Amino acid sequence: MNIPRVLNRKNRILLKELTKTDFKLRYQGSLLGYLWALLRPLMMFAILYIVFSMWLRFGNDIPHYPVYLLCGTTLWNFFTECTSQGIQSIIIRGDLLRKISFPKYIVVISSQLTALINLGINLIVVVIFALINGVMPTWSWLLIVFPILELYLFSLGLAFLLGSINVKYRDITSIWDVIVQALFYAVPIIYPIQMVASNSLLAAKAILLNPIAQCIQDVRYFLITKEAVTTWNFIFNPSVIIPVLIVIFMLAIGANSFRRRSRYFAEEA
Amino acid sequence: MKKPELGTRKEVQLDNDIAISVKGVKKSFKLPTERSSGLKQAIFNRLRGIKGYTEQKVLQGLDFEIKKGEFVGIVGRNGSGKSTLLKILAGIYYPQAGEITINGTLIPFIELGVGFNPELTGRENVYLNGALLGFSNEEMDKMYDDIWKFAELEPFQDQKLKNYSSGMQVRLAFSIAIRAQGDILLLDEVLAVGDAAFQVKCGDYFRSLHDKKQTVVLVTHSMTNVRTFCDRAILLDRGKVVMDGDPHKVADEYNRLLGIKKK
Repeated sequence: MNIPRVLNRKNRILLKELTKTDFKLRYQGSLLGYLWALLRPLMMFAILYIVFSMWLRFGNDIPHYPVYLLCGTTLWNFFTECTSQGIQSIIIRGDLLRKISFPKYIVVISSQLTALINLGINLIVVVIFALINGVMPTWSWLLIVFPILELYLFSLGLAFLLGSINVKYRDITSIWDVIVQALFYAVPIIYPIQMVASNSLLAAKAILLNPIAQCIQDVRYFLITKEAVTTWNFIFNPSVIIPVLIVIFMLAIGANSFRRRSRYFAEEA
Repeated sequence: MKKPELGTRKEVQLDNDIAISVKGVKKSFKLPTERSSGLKQAIFNRLRGIKGYTEQKVLQGLDFEIKKGEFVGIVGRNGSGKSTLLKILAGIYYPQAGEITINGTLIPFIELGVGFNPELTGRENVYLNGALLGFSNEEMDKMYDDIWKFAELEPFQDQKLKNYSSGMQVRLAFSIAIRAQGDILLLDEVLAVGDAAFQVKCGDYFRSLHDKKQTVVLVTHSMTNVRTFCDRAILLDRGKVVMDGDPHKVADEYNRLLGIKKK
């Protein structure tokens, strides 16, 4: 994957048009159309808020907890959308792969760009909620770009790896569904990490070494409250670098698997 | 596991008279012997020490060159490897062995209307299909009206494609396809559809390609097309080139293979 080819004119046109099509098709034929991209996560958030915050009284000691929760679910939705769309994309676009020749990673990236657009719009909602909730805007808000980029690269690596295997072994889709469920509880989204820390410091540290947890906590830290526990302010030793290493590792093995297997996508998809 | 050997395919821009060069190209497909394919089956096969597939040799060492400006027909019975060859030339399949050199830009038409989506409108599909052929939005804007005029479908631009008849879809796709500009065109029987009036249009299109000395590789079952438009024809049988040369002789040989008596 050398840079001139990634950015060449034909590939750019293709990427743009495929993304546009994905975006249009997703909400075709529904009455509220694109509004669902906003409504669905907000409704999911409302359920989680009622169950975990109002009923089970999680996070009462965290300032702006509702926004804190919404921020977490927004990023989580982004991650799951990015990975599952990316994993499916090669099979969904199999028809194209069988008929024209183009760099295959374009289908993966185009399927994820829709998720990125959705994230952008949902983040605007998070910001509006934050302002209503009395969070003061600061320059540190801009820093959320970095953890979001990291989260995206992690999901890209996963999509490359799992998506390329999924072409041959469709079992991956089902396995991934289960892993996503498990991961949801392994990441401090609905529960504050302090709750885990008060039971077991080691468990809390282990949870924060997960890149997804690290990214979500970082965004919460930059966006909502400096009281958010992040990997960096919770683990005081060189192992804070582990989440970043996991992301780099995932991207490397994902790209490698994708490059090797993509020759045969047209035959197997 | 032994790593499979691979052939190469490269695209170059050279100032000689060779458009496509094919040397010792081989391709086989792995056909699973078990009905179910998946992780479970793969593990079973590994444990029992069986391959779990048989190898279907589709192309068994092809050699030929196509010169710039030649209109070449590729003919052969079903399963002789024509379409596989075309897909390898197009860069869709990977050659297992051998060397392919494409000199210039290549536009493949494995099918008309690639990427057409029934849920999108005619207008949206035109832009999507155009993008797949390498046209930007601005370029499509310029051709847009001509495309609809040629297809004679102007009133249906904003209808969803699913409301088009199959004939209308083909007309629209064809109208986009003929705008594609490249040094080499690969056509895979895409034009074997449509009614008589459409066939006349296709004939005109082929003739215009022939007249302007466009390099064309046409896979076809129509010996009439071979005799009328081709400068040269290549006959494939069981993955090998059995005849290469004068289109009339190749067409006769094809008919003999098929057991069709010459009129």
